[in-house]
Amino acid sequence: MSPKACKNCGSSDIDVDHARGDAVCMGCGSVLEDNIIVSEVEFVETGGGGSSAVGQFVSSEEGARNPSFGDSHINGMGRESRAQTLQKAKQHINTLGHQLQMNQHCLNTAFNFYRMALGKHLTSGRKASHVIAACLYLVCRTEGTPHMLLDLSDIVQVNVYILGRTFLVLSRELCINAPAIDPCLYIPRFAQLLEFGEKNHDVAMTALRLVQRMKRDWMHTGRRPSGLCGAALLVAAHMHEFRRTVKEIVSVVKVCETTLRKRLTEFEDTPTSQLTIEEFMKVDLDQECDPPCFTAGLRKRKVQQLEIELKKKMDDVEDEIHGYEDEIDAELESSRPKLRGVYASYVKEGKTEIQHDEESEVPSTPTRKESDGGSQDEDELQAVAKHFGKDMCELTMEALLKLERRGLEEEEEEPEEQEEGGGGGVPKRKGPSLESILGPMPTASTLGLSESIGTCIGDGKENDGAADSGELDLSGIDDGEIELYLLDDREVKIKTALWMAENSDYLKEQREKAAKIAKEKELGIYKEKKPRGPSKKRDPIRASTADEAIGKMLEQKKISSKINYDVLKDLNIKPCPSPARSAESPIKKEPSAAAKLTGRSRHPARAPLSLSTPLSTLGKRLQPFITGQPNKKMAVEQVASSNPLPVPVGAPGGGGGGGGSGGAGAVVVVVESGPVHYDDAAAEDEEEEEEETCVSAMEMMGSNDYGCDGDYDDGF
Amino acid sequence: MDSSNDEALDIIITNVVATFRTRCHLNLRTIALEGINVIYKPDMGKVLMKLRKPKITASIWSSGKIICTGATSEDDAKVGARRLARTLQKLGFKVRFSAFKVVNVLAVCSMPFAIRLIDFTKKNRPIASYEPELHPAATYRIKHIKATIQVFSTGSITVTGPNVQNVASAVEQVYPLLFECQKPRCK
Repeated sequence: MSPKACKNCGSSDIDVDHARGDAVCMGCGSVLEDNIIVSEVEFVETGGGGSSAVGQFVSSEEGARNPSFGDSHINGMGRESRAQTLQKAKQHINTLGHQLQMNQHCLNTAFNFYRMALGKHLTSGRKASHVIAACLYLVCRTEGTPHMLLDLSDIVQVNVYILGRTFLVLSRELCINAPAIDPCLYIPRFAQLLEFGEKNHDVAMTALRLVQRMKRDWMHTGRRPSGLCGAALLVAAHMHEFRRTVKEIVSVVKVCETTLRKRLTEFEDTPTSQLTIEEFMKVDLDQECDPPCFTAGLRKRKVQQLEIELKKKMDDVEDEIHGYEDEIDAELESSRPKLRGVYASYVKEGKTEIQHDEESEVPSTPTRKESDGGSQDEDELQAVAKHFGKDMCELTMEALLKLERRGLEEEEEEPEEQEEGGGGGVPKRKGPSLESILGPMPTASTLGLSESIGTCIGDGKENDGAADSGELDLSGIDDGEIELYLLDDREVKIKTALWMAENSDYLKEQREKAAKIAKEKELGIYKEKKPRGPSKKRDPIRASTADEAIGKMLEQKKISSKINYDVLKDLNIKPCPSPARSAESPIKKEPSAAAKLTGRSRHPARAPLSLSTPLSTLGKRLQPFITGQPNKKMAVEQVASSNPLPVPVGAPGGGGGGGGSGGAGAVVVVVESGPVHYDDAAAEDEEEEEEETCVSAMEMMGSNDYGCDGDYDDGF
Repeated sequence: MDSSNDEALDIIITNVVATFRTRCHLNLRTIALEGINVIYKPDMGKVLMKLRKPKITASIWSSGKIICTGATSEDDAKVGARRLARTLQKLGFKVRFSAFKVVNVLAVCSMPFAIRLIDFTKKNRPIASYEPELHPAATYRIKHIKATIQVFSTGSITVTGPNVQNVASAVEQVYPLLFECQKPRCK
């Protein structure tokens, strides 16, 4: 692509030389393009008479690009990030894969999947570990290895379903159709774990046959394959006279006991279970079965039908019995001596009471407690409400019925007495409503009751508020019914009290929070919680001495409350150890910070701090890990923290460490000891780094001087 | 091929979810204290109000957004929503009923035959996905009508979609596919 005009002088006279691969402006002489990519193939004579093609190989791998392409420095940074991501992913995949004993081919495929996912932007918004695990599982499925999603989730310590979701998304987006899981795949693996010794193969074969039989009997659709395998292996083991308990199988197969037993029962229901062992090995029944849930459904339906029929019969019988009862009652009545006088009406009322008792199943307790209430309905309800601790309108239908009956009772008991207030009027009014209640619609009746109670007790309902809806179409809405959904003033008060009591803890918290915010506002420290924007990328610090580096880092990095910066500054001057505060977090922070650094010049900043931390200030957690050999471990920490950086690892030892720390002079003596030897396992594990750091620190603390001179012997 | 068979398929709608807005700020505490059948969840910042008829549970936020779930038909959902708005009106808020939208409809349907899930998944990749380790049903997503169908091996299916029409057409679409992969009953 030859540009038409020069950027610097605007001249359009540009000389493009394909042989040199340059584009030069003739006006100002600036080189506009360098190393132009051409599609011609040229040949040059090599010494000896041969000819070779002219050109450079540009690798398609990110990160290998030579950043001398004119103005592509910015591009270079972006590519490097991508390369880093891929590198990290590759490492993770390899680690996980080795734990699962997968071969290299699978791991490479998994890495390819990851790369595809990265290209399609599927990794953003998801935890890297999830995506990597999903890629691995994808490979397992496509290759047909006997790895379950459960295994992966065990290793990564993530919920299976979350992994599953990621896996599904990946397989959908990458259009990879993983073949369905076959339980037969898992049999050899589980058989191995169950240790059948020499007969392993035979047992496995038998179990395989069983599973195939189960498949034909439709036990495997919709079920976890591991459950089926477990059941098959149990039966196979027993068939070959091995004793394996359910517990052992459960621990291998990772389903729960109940599932295993269920599968066994289902298998028992199939006709195959009736065959003897020899028959089973030879014959394969043609008949297939329905899936077990299907049969279970059918059974349920049958049972239900039976129940309905039974009920019908019962009803008939009941009616007959009622008929007999009535007749008997009538007979008794006619033969009973009649009572006269005051109690006549009472007896009648007693009968209706019995009727009501029959028709409504009521708990007897309310009556007893209600006996405390006065004759006034209001007081009664008050008492009831108090006892139940609920709102009045939340009284159950039964309770209300009870009340009504009592009211009626009282009325009958004192027919001559004047009822006070509206008490008398109310029961009378309630009489008819009871009848309507004993009809079918329970909801309507309860509402009806509460309405009547509401109107007796409280004042009128609250006013309809301003409530200018404009757009609210009220057709078909029964206002009366809606009003029932609202509580009265008194009711509101009661409910408020109850609610406050219930939620006192929460309210207290809120008040404290508000008080705190108000105080902070006064003091002017109040910080609004802002949503975190994207974290900005920090430029790598370029410093010639360690002091500079420390200074710049301190400026850049946010001030931490856990690091005693005075100590840091002191360190530049004299190497005597000075106490630093809680070292745990800084130690933890630094290795992690190290992972993100691109320049080795950061190391000096970290190392001294960790050294100067007296162990006494380190948490109890770290103290037990203190052992000998601190220097080497220190070195390991150095190396380990540098491991995440792909490039610098290649240049360890005196060169890199010495160079980076050389300028530190007296201060960072430790760094000069340099990375002695690697410990690959410690690569990404910051926890280990932490422990090893404190080990070294302790030893260092023993001597006034940093005394690393002795370490030089260990260095290479 | 579809429900115009001899045996018509019963599509039973079990749940309709709808949202609407009241266009005014609501004081949740007032609602909680003065309404019946309300549950106040201060940590989630909402109030649950349950209506009896139609049987609806509504989540009410202080911004005025309300989600109603539990209705058995679209009309029911609308009636319930209006009723709810009326109740809030009576509590004293300047409620306007706007932006009513049925968001999700869940229906259940039962086929008269069992289904071979593995076959079904194989034939309909990648639209269908079946992961027995995770869920016993095969999931079939129809993108253009935005419906999701979960197919169980017993022959019952659950369909979710943005409205009843979509749900019905989804069932019609999927029926022939299921018919192909059916498993004849043995007993």
